[in-house]
Amino acid sequence: MTAIRIAGVSRAFGAVAAVDDIALDVANGEFFTLLGPSGCGKTTLLRMIAGFCDLDRGAIHFGDRRIDMLPPHRRNAGMVFQNYAIFPNLTVADNVAYGLRARRVAAKDITARVARALALVHLDAHGERWPYQLSGGQLQRVAIARCLVIEPAVLLLDEPLSNLDAQLRVEMRGEIRQLQQSLKITALYVTHDQEEALAISDRIAVMRAGKLEQVGAPEEIYRHPASPFVAEFMGTTNLLHGAVTGGAGAWLRVAVGGQDFHLAAPGARMGDTLSFSLRPEILRPVAPGAAAPEGWALVAARLEHVEFLGALTRMEMSLGEGTRLRVAALDLPSGWVRQSGAVALAYDPARITAFRAR
Amino acid sequence: MRRPGFSPSFSGAVTVLALGFLALFLLYPLFGIFEASVLDPSGAHFTANNYLRVLARPFYQRALGNSLAIGAAATVVTTMVGVPLAFCLARLAIPGKPLLLALATLPLVLPSFVSAYALVLLFGRAGIVTQALRAIGVPFDSLYGAPGLVAVYTLTLFPYVVLPTLAAFKAVDVSVEEAGQNLGASRWRVWRTVILPIVMPAVLAGALLVFMDTLENFGVPFVLAEDMPVLAVEAWKQFVGETGGNPATAGVLGVLLIICTTLALLVQRHYLARRRFATGARTAPPLLAIGPRWRVAAIAFSWGVVALALVPFCAVVVISFMRFRGPVITTELGLGNFIQLFARAPGPLANTLILAGAAAFGGVLLGVPIGYVLTRTRTRLAALLDIVAMMPFAVAGTVLGIGLVIAFNAGFLVLTGGWLILVIAYVVRKLPFNVRASSAILHQIDPSLEEASINLGVSPSLTFVKLTVPLMLGGIVGGAVLTFVTVASELSATVILYSGKWSTMTIVMFQALEGTGAGVASAAATVLIVVTILPLALINRLLRRQGASLL
Amino acid sequence: MRNLGRSSLVCAVVAATLLLGVATAGEARAADKSVVIYSANESVLDELVFTAFTKESGIAVQPVEGGSGVLVKRMSSEKERPQGDIIWGISRSLLQSNAALFAPYHSKNVDAIPVEYRDPGDLWIGNNLHLLVLLQNTKLVPEGQGPKSWDDLLDPKWKGKIAFTDPANSGSAYTNVTLLAQLWGNDDAAWEKVTKLFANMKVLNKSSLVFSGVGNGEYPLGISLEYAGYIWASNGAPIKTVYPSDGTVVAMEGVGIIKGGPNPESAKVFVDFINRKDTREMIFAKTFRRPARQDLDFTKLPGNMPALSTIKLATYDEESWTAKRPATMAKIQEIVEKTR
Repeated sequence: MTAIRIAGVSRAFGAVAAVDDIALDVANGEFFTLLGPSGCGKTTLLRMIAGFCDLDRGAIHFGDRRIDMLPPHRRNAGMVFQNYAIFPNLTVADNVAYGLRARRVAAKDITARVARALALVHLDAHGERWPYQLSGGQLQRVAIARCLVIEPAVLLLDEPLSNLDAQLRVEMRGEIRQLQQSLKITALYVTHDQEEALAISDRIAVMRAGKLEQVGAPEEIYRHPASPFVAEFMGTTNLLHGAVTGGAGAWLRVAVGGQDFHLAAPGARMGDTLSFSLRPEILRPVAPGAAAPEGWALVAARLEHVEFLGALTRMEMSLGEGTRLRVAALDLPSGWVRQSGAVALAYDPARITAFRAR
Repeated sequence: MRRPGFSPSFSGAVTVLALGFLALFLLYPLFGIFEASVLDPSGAHFTANNYLRVLARPFYQRALGNSLAIGAAATVVTTMVGVPLAFCLARLAIPGKPLLLALATLPLVLPSFVSAYALVLLFGRAGIVTQALRAIGVPFDSLYGAPGLVAVYTLTLFPYVVLPTLAAFKAVDVSVEEAGQNLGASRWRVWRTVILPIVMPAVLAGALLVFMDTLENFGVPFVLAEDMPVLAVEAWKQFVGETGGNPATAGVLGVLLIICTTLALLVQRHYLARRRFATGARTAPPLLAIGPRWRVAAIAFSWGVVALALVPFCAVVVISFMRFRGPVITTELGLGNFIQLFARAPGPLANTLILAGAAAFGGVLLGVPIGYVLTRTRTRLAALLDIVAMMPFAVAGTVLGIGLVIAFNAGFLVLTGGWLILVIAYVVRKLPFNVRASSAILHQIDPSLEEASINLGVSPSLTFVKLTVPLMLGGIVGGAVLTFVTVASELSATVILYSGKWSTMTIVMFQALEGTGAGVASAAATVLIVVTILPLALINRLLRRQGASLL
Repeated sequence: MRNLGRSSLVCAVVAATLLLGVATAGEARAADKSVVIYSANESVLDELVFTAFTKESGIAVQPVEGGSGVLVKRMSSEKERPQGDIIWGISRSLLQSNAALFAPYHSKNVDAIPVEYRDPGDLWIGNNLHLLVLLQNTKLVPEGQGPKSWDDLLDPKWKGKIAFTDPANSGSAYTNVTLLAQLWGNDDAAWEKVTKLFANMKVLNKSSLVFSGVGNGEYPLGISLEYAGYIWASNGAPIKTVYPSDGTVVAMEGVGIIKGGPNPESAKVFVDFINRKDTREMIFAKTFRRPARQDLDFTKLPGNMPALSTIKLATYDEESWTAKRPATMAKIQEIVEKTR
């Protein structure tokens, strides 16, 4: 039963602050993801927890135990490496047994536990194989089994799926999530893939330039990004800028490309410049003569380009003054895709997230 | 599995040509030696008596035992020195590392029999160091005998272990190391259970070279073994001894040498065959942070070993600037040795450069296509070529030299007396260097590049010349330079094969040391060092840039 | 097409180079006014003589230097197509046993050389006379305390202190051993003494290790050749040359013209040159080689070498020992092996 507490942790490489005063609590049994572009410090933070990177400042606790002063091999934090790091000189079974041997577990227990761990990752029959005889996905499973078998306090995963092909990636992330749930182990997962993060996490921390940009549940982060950076990083969005031109009550009018958008931006006043994010899926073209959905507002746009992707149709629209909008619609009425020209575009004002211009 | 695009005509032609070359210039000459060992005195009947007779003699049993024991001891000690040194150079912050690395390869330049001579002057019974040690009360006897031989081999041959092991340490993916620690193993345990096994193939490759070199080397035991029997020396005496050796005994001893080295080669290959350990690091692992006390120890060890290895080297250079009265060394400085040397040595010096250059060129011409075929194709013929191309490692220079003389002095192809037979001998002897260097680099080149070229309409052979060879250039040059440097200091085959006009610097040294010209010999050694240091500097730059090993 | 042209050009160049190599393999044959000399002498002597010879005659010397064993082996393996003109500096027994490979030549200086030092059929001529001597390092063994005779060497106090050359690799060492066997009676007891002597000695791999070893102080005593003692002593090394009081022997080495060699005329010029009186004086002054011709006045030359007539010589049946060589060598080898 291990929670991770990260308090005031910093690390600089030369003048670059790789991890900058980060405080974070990961609950026991939580699947927590560090998400961010490359160079944001997420891997550095993970390696600090594993013990492969020293802290300049701060402390890390597993439960009540402070671990950041311990050498890596005494932390009991199982780590799955991006390139699997399977020992090429050992068989699959010996790889899995490695941590048990280091802990001087009795030989007969090792055999049983290794067999259980391999069964857990569906590699029962592969114990005597050599690493070079395995596929990427199988190596990944060995890496996971090797970590789980030592019953680590926490499971650390460093972009574990990035070397796999797309389909396998989806399959494996499901398996990882399932394993984590069934073992109720605390997992800290590093990735740059927002979809992956959304799919498997209990909570996500979006990192940027060594700092936490936002911490929250997947839906919260997606629907209510705390910053334009988070909005843009978490999937496709349209980030527009405009001045507040009027409004009543909670609803403001913001002028973009010669048109007015209605949105809620508490605390904004007339004349303020705002940025706001409209996800492609909250925009919907309205057929001529049809009404906009209940509660949605309309702007006039031009259809510039259509991509038919089966279930999904992607469109590019333009407002006035060169502002472009990406629109995605599910199950669009047939005939739409070949049309172009003026379109009435509906949007849901309640789903717009506005940011104060910085 | 055959990769598409590697047309059987290209690789097949290379395989057949290379096998033909080696059959003619390696197997056929060796057959002559072998034949002598299995014929009775009349030369008409096959007999095993020669072997029984030689092996029944306690003297030859001892010679064989001594050679194997000294070879094994030297290999173990060299490995025990070389692996930690490689580790220090790969993973620790050692000040002056580039210089250290350059200096560590220098022992390859100096012919080992010259090292032996210099070491006797220093550590012999009347050696300068011996006497100094005795004066301060250290009971040091002398360098002679097995311990001295092991010491000399260790200090001259450790680059063979250091170079490939260093490259292997740098190629270990650091995450493997971290994974070990993460799973709860201490740093030492990870080193023992993961890192060491991963670099072991490279260590063994180097150790094998050391073992073979100690086994076939006769220049060093000639001086330092005194009257302890050593197989290579006894074989040499039987082949070319002044009082007329016994061809059958000589043949038996030659074959024994080949058997020993071949067995070592096979053991190593058997071990390697079951292991494929490449972890393919994208970047070299980072330097380790260690405590100040360990750091001092590592620095002292690294510099200490290299400094010790350079002792004969420096001694030779110093001696070359001492004045000699006839054979007697004086304590005055002077350039007399060089003046005496250059009265006749421009010829030998030019010969050394020409022959070593030609051998390097020929080695590339033969070795690179072989390395290519061995890396990229899997046919039965290629497997045969793989074995034959490594065989020269197992053949002592003297034995090959004699074989070549027997084979090509008369008959369908006459080569003795010219330069070509020397170059052929060198190309054959150093072929494994070139093959290894090129296949090492080829392993790093994605075959899809070549497939792309062929797919774009360039024939396989032209793709090889226009695309693959330029990509392989680092490895090719590396192999060539190593060939050049080691040929320049080659003695054992040269002494059998050279003719008047084609005397080399090592011959000058050997002859001078044979008589009363120690001064000239050290001057010649100094000159040889200077002219081979340049290509060696090149090799080091390449090594550092590519992180690839040439051995 | 251009590329193809270039690669075939490369092929052509390589092929041409190889052909050139084969063609020039026997190139010594084509050159005029040169002579290929297989010399078993040490390079200092060779250089001295060859330089003087070329200067005087205009004939370039292409030396092939090596131990006599290597050279004889080479000469005999090349007999179908000889590469050398001259073999120089090999022992009488090697000259005799390979006489079939030599072309006869009646040298101009032949009469100055006693008959015992030349072939009656002029196939070879003696050149240097080496006396087998003891060398003593006077720093390690004071002047008066060294051995005086071969017999003295049997004293156990010299155990491990006497350097000797392996007879398997040295003709003069073979001569030396057989001399002692004969001197001590050539019976089982004599060979017993030889065995005892070997047990006292360090048997080194080449003769230079003996004299440079004694000269540099590696070994207190050595059994070597006369000239080496004089060279080292005259250059300041603490070496004393001891002529054994129980008698020594003259080991002759000489020169022969290789039958069918590429430059027979130049070869004759060299053979004449090498035995001329002034040449011999020059050689003596620099390298202390005692000449086969007996008309040099040592009192007017450096080194104070005693005349041959003043040295006690033992009876030595060289021809018979040469004839019995294979069997005797085997016997010696057994002794060497037994005493190691």
